[in-house]
Amino acid sequence: MALIEARSLAKSFRIPSDRRETVREHLFNAFRPRTFERLDVLRSVTFDVQQGETLGIMGRNGSGKSTLLKILCGIYRADRGSLRVGAPITPILELGLGWNPELDGIDNILLLGTAMGLRLREAKDAVDEILAFAGLDRFANVPLKHYSSGMASRLAYSVAFKTVREVLVLDEIFAVGDAEFRERCEARYRELSAKGHTIVLVSHDPRVISTFCSRALLLDEGRVAFEGRGTDVVGEYSRRALTASAGPARA
Amino acid sequence: MAGGTLMGASLTTASARVDVAGMLWTLARTDFKTRYHGTVGGFIWALLKPALMFVVLMSVFSFIFASSPNYRLNLIVGLFLWDFFAEATKTGLTSLHAKGYLLAKTRFPSWILVVASASNALLTLAVFLATFLAYLVLAGRAPGAAAGALALFYLLMFFAITVGISLAGSVLFLRYRDLNQVWDVAIQAGFFVAPIIYPLEILPERFHFWLYLWPPTPVIQFCRAVLVDGVLPTARANLLLAGMTAVILAVGVLVFRGQVADATEKL
Repeated sequence: MALIEARSLAKSFRIPSDRRETVREHLFNAFRPRTFERLDVLRSVTFDVQQGETLGIMGRNGSGKSTLLKILCGIYRADRGSLRVGAPITPILELGLGWNPELDGIDNILLLGTAMGLRLREAKDAVDEILAFAGLDRFANVPLKHYSSGMASRLAYSVAFKTVREVLVLDEIFAVGDAEFRERCEARYRELSAKGHTIVLVSHDPRVISTFCSRALLLDEGRVAFEGRGTDVVGEYSRRALTASAGPARA
Repeated sequence: MAGGTLMGASLTTASARVDVAGMLWTLARTDFKTRYHGTVGGFIWALLKPALMFVVLMSVFSFIFASSPNYRLNLIVGLFLWDFFAEATKTGLTSLHAKGYLLAKTRFPSWILVVASASNALLTLAVFLATFLAYLVLAGRAPGAAAGALALFYLLMFFAITVGISLAGSVLFLRYRDLNQVWDVAIQAGFFVAPIIYPLEILPERFHFWLYLWPPTPVIQFCRAVLVDGVLPTARANLLLAGMTAVILAVGVLVFRGQVADATEKL
């Protein structure tokens, strides 16, 4: 039995014709009709991931990759379809975004670490290792508001790599930080993969998909447009990208 | 494994373990640090707010209510309990929004954020109660075991009421972004509905029932009864308070559970 079974997953967002986000707006416009535009982000996505497998997901911007990952991680809920995940997931998504800017690196590590599943004692013991992995030892007591976005991302990925559960879900993991940090991430990734962790990985980078993924999906307009070996999916992705860029020129 | 069906989608996921106590402690500690810059001096400001209010109100109203022998003690108990309620529900209301950066990154029981948001108000109340109890002991008015146990029970009920309101408010705030302003108005009016600056007895008895429907009223009145007047409320009164607390908490949990699945989409 597959560790992750997704069947006909669908997700849409309702975009209202006018924004009503306050009690006042709801009251004053109670009798004014408003329309909703439906944005179908995922139309029907079906796939399996086996225990210990690394599945890559590729697709253009807006193809539904990030939404799919958020559904997998339980951050968004699907509108239709079914999803069975047989093991706890560690999500590594949008980690560069949002911290408590007033707190220093250590407090943010403890906050994110415990939210991601570490016991407080484990998080405290791991602080030095996490800071070293991120290359931020010297900035441990500096408030996050003084970090650059790259530094904040490095710190977040370092926390996430330390909190790994059975399944890892990664979004553009190797696009963060400098070459040295990316190398450390790749080494850690290989180590986790060798230990038998199941990994779902989103990337636009053909090298990442063909190097790290035994199997991959190509998402297009909320559906699985192509499925196969990592190298084959990269080929299809590149072919479609070339076709798309050539299209307007011909016209 | 946890499973469920939501809007036609069925979801079965393995439960992720979270160190609830550790996360609550970390959230409380970092909230304290952010709010008071981690200093005792900063925290004193939190105590000064109700204390200064007490001095001002006492200066004026202790003349008006000079016939009430325990007016000053009742006033300070009422003010600190009210301050806890107002602060805890205000921060509870915006708690999910304020910690959206955690919710968008990973999955954990989000009620932890709501409960932890009351920590600063709880700390202020705890410091006041310790000081107040010390005063009662020194003044030879230490409450007995039954009175002490009942006071603890009332505080527990008050905390549960606060959590219930905060749970509902935190998810509704994501839908109605001015709900905190609406709540501010309610809190301002509620300050006068609860018998904080006036003894309840000055109002005709037929109004008492309605005032007791405002949750802070029974808690404040019962706490005063056991801590200041040395009177134990009846079992029926205690049961009614417990019932009211259960209803508020249940409604809060139901609203929260109904709305929280979409919370991250509204952040």
